[in-house]
Amino acid sequence: MIGIDLGSRSVKIVQMHGSNTSASQIYDTIWFYRQFGGRGTRSLKIDLDELGLDGRDGLVATGYGKIAVQVEGAINLPEIQAHVKGAVFQTRLSDFTLLDIGGQDTKVVKVRAGRAVDFMTNDRCAASSGRYLENMAAILDLTLEELSSYSENPVELNSTCAIFGETEIIGKIVEGCSLSCLAAGVNNTLYRRCAAMLEKLESDIIVLSGGVALNSALAKIIRQETSCQVVRLPQPQLNGAIGCCVYGEEKLVTGG
Amino acid sequence: MNKIGFTTSIPVEVLLAAGKVPVDLNNIFITDEKARLMVDMAEDAGYPRNTCGWIKGLYAVALQDDLEAVIAVMQGDCSNTQALMETLQMKNIKTIPFAYPFDRDREMLRRHLDKLIEVFQTDWETVQQVKFELDGIRALCHQIDLMTWRDNLVSGWENHYYLISTSDFNGNPRQFKLEADSFINQARNREPFRDEIRLAYIGVPPIFTDLYSCLESMGARVVYNEVQRQFAMPTAGTDIVEQYYYYTYPYGAFARLEDIQTQLDLRNVDGVIHYTQTFCFRQIEDIIYRQKIALPFLTLEGDRPGRVDARTRMRMEAFVSMLK
Repeated sequence: MIGIDLGSRSVKIVQMHGSNTSASQIYDTIWFYRQFGGRGTRSLKIDLDELGLDGRDGLVATGYGKIAVQVEGAINLPEIQAHVKGAVFQTRLSDFTLLDIGGQDTKVVKVRAGRAVDFMTNDRCAASSGRYLENMAAILDLTLEELSSYSENPVELNSTCAIFGETEIIGKIVEGCSLSCLAAGVNNTLYRRCAAMLEKLESDIIVLSGGVALNSALAKIIRQETSCQVVRLPQPQLNGAIGCCVYGEEKLVTGG
Repeated sequence: MNKIGFTTSIPVEVLLAAGKVPVDLNNIFITDEKARLMVDMAEDAGYPRNTCGWIKGLYAVALQDDLEAVIAVMQGDCSNTQALMETLQMKNIKTIPFAYPFDRDREMLRRHLDKLIEVFQTDWETVQQVKFELDGIRALCHQIDLMTWRDNLVSGWENHYYLISTSDFNGNPRQFKLEADSFINQARNREPFRDEIRLAYIGVPPIFTDLYSCLESMGARVVYNEVQRQFAMPTAGTDIVEQYYYYTYPYGAFARLEDIQTQLDLRNVDGVIHYTQTFCFRQIEDIIYRQKIALPFLTLEGDRPGRVDARTRMRMEAFVSMLK
């Protein structure tokens, strides 16, 4: 079973046999669309052999991209459903709040008995998403990994806009704020951006997925601020694609 | 030059009594193929980017359409209307203010109506006569509404179209009556919808042009359009003051909530979509509806006219799949 998550910043592909992952790849979205798009009308014809994937018995796609383009031969799965399936599969938990922060958006989903019962997403701006973190890391001349290690004494940053955020941080540099305080400030805005949603859709356990789940400072801040148990998925970036595989396998079993 | 534009539903009986052609500027804007360009036009004129798309559209329509005057609803709709009226005055367009009293004071409402009747040089008796004629046409729309939620013969978009059109009866009540009659006869012979999910749509009409069809492609049909239903004056009352007193839309979130809750109970819906316009004060009222409505709830936001964007579609898909 092959699952494809067509994200705004990267395309994630996972191949699973039963419940075992046999292959996984992450591609830059622009590269991926250039490579496989434009060969049909609004459709992506993916050469699975070219990607080193074979012997498939099904293809399931999710993500923003699936609306603009159809992956030929794929079943489409709504994004939130894919992420919930992936998180339930990866954690074996059934009651939790899923916080998924991807390249351009944030989703918070309340999961009960393994199903989404309520969800919220961020407003239209990409502030405090993966793209925001990349920009901020570049300005601070840090790698994403380095950036994610700071959580103490954050400077206060206004998190309403990803682009104005850059101007703001330059101002703070001029004011003489230390690198660690600035980096902590950036990580703190990630939390502030989703805090209200986490409170509205609260659970005892918060599961982090999406590329931003790799930011360890975020997990630490959430733990401190909410007193909830925070679970980081083993493969946060691949969660949507894993969810697709899980869904595809279920369909095979039920004959749906 | 006998067309009178207006910014939201007004007592249309007054205009018809005066022999004028009512034009709901919202309907002209959203059905125009160049709706997006109209927003650009208003922005070029200096309307801020972070202002409601409807207001910008109304500005452009008011400038383009051959209107005798524009009635601007200054209370009970949108506070941006004040600046809309002022910028239209700068373009030498005649504007007439109208207001629904926020406290729903009958006497004050009567006075505002009286003023409108005076401006259009008509009289209460003629206005009342027009109301009785329109009651019959509105009754057809109430029937379409019933055929939507009870008989399952009408789509969410059709329901939206017929109810929303009662704000100006497309400028010609007699023609609209024929259209509604013919639709009812045709819809009666249909196979009922067998939708998986029944939705309520509350809030101002969507700026998206394909919201209803998008939902229907996902297996969900809107069986309640809150504000559109109010435009069709579901409680006619005995006279025109009473009718616009019972009309909920201009009187705040709580007046609307009472009506919404009654209809939600009646129509057996699985979930509620609350639509708010980007940059609109009604986004704050979302807090109230979320707290008071005990059904799965999705808040949608739209900015510019056009098809449903990818993000909104993703959220609608997730909501519908959650309800299944």
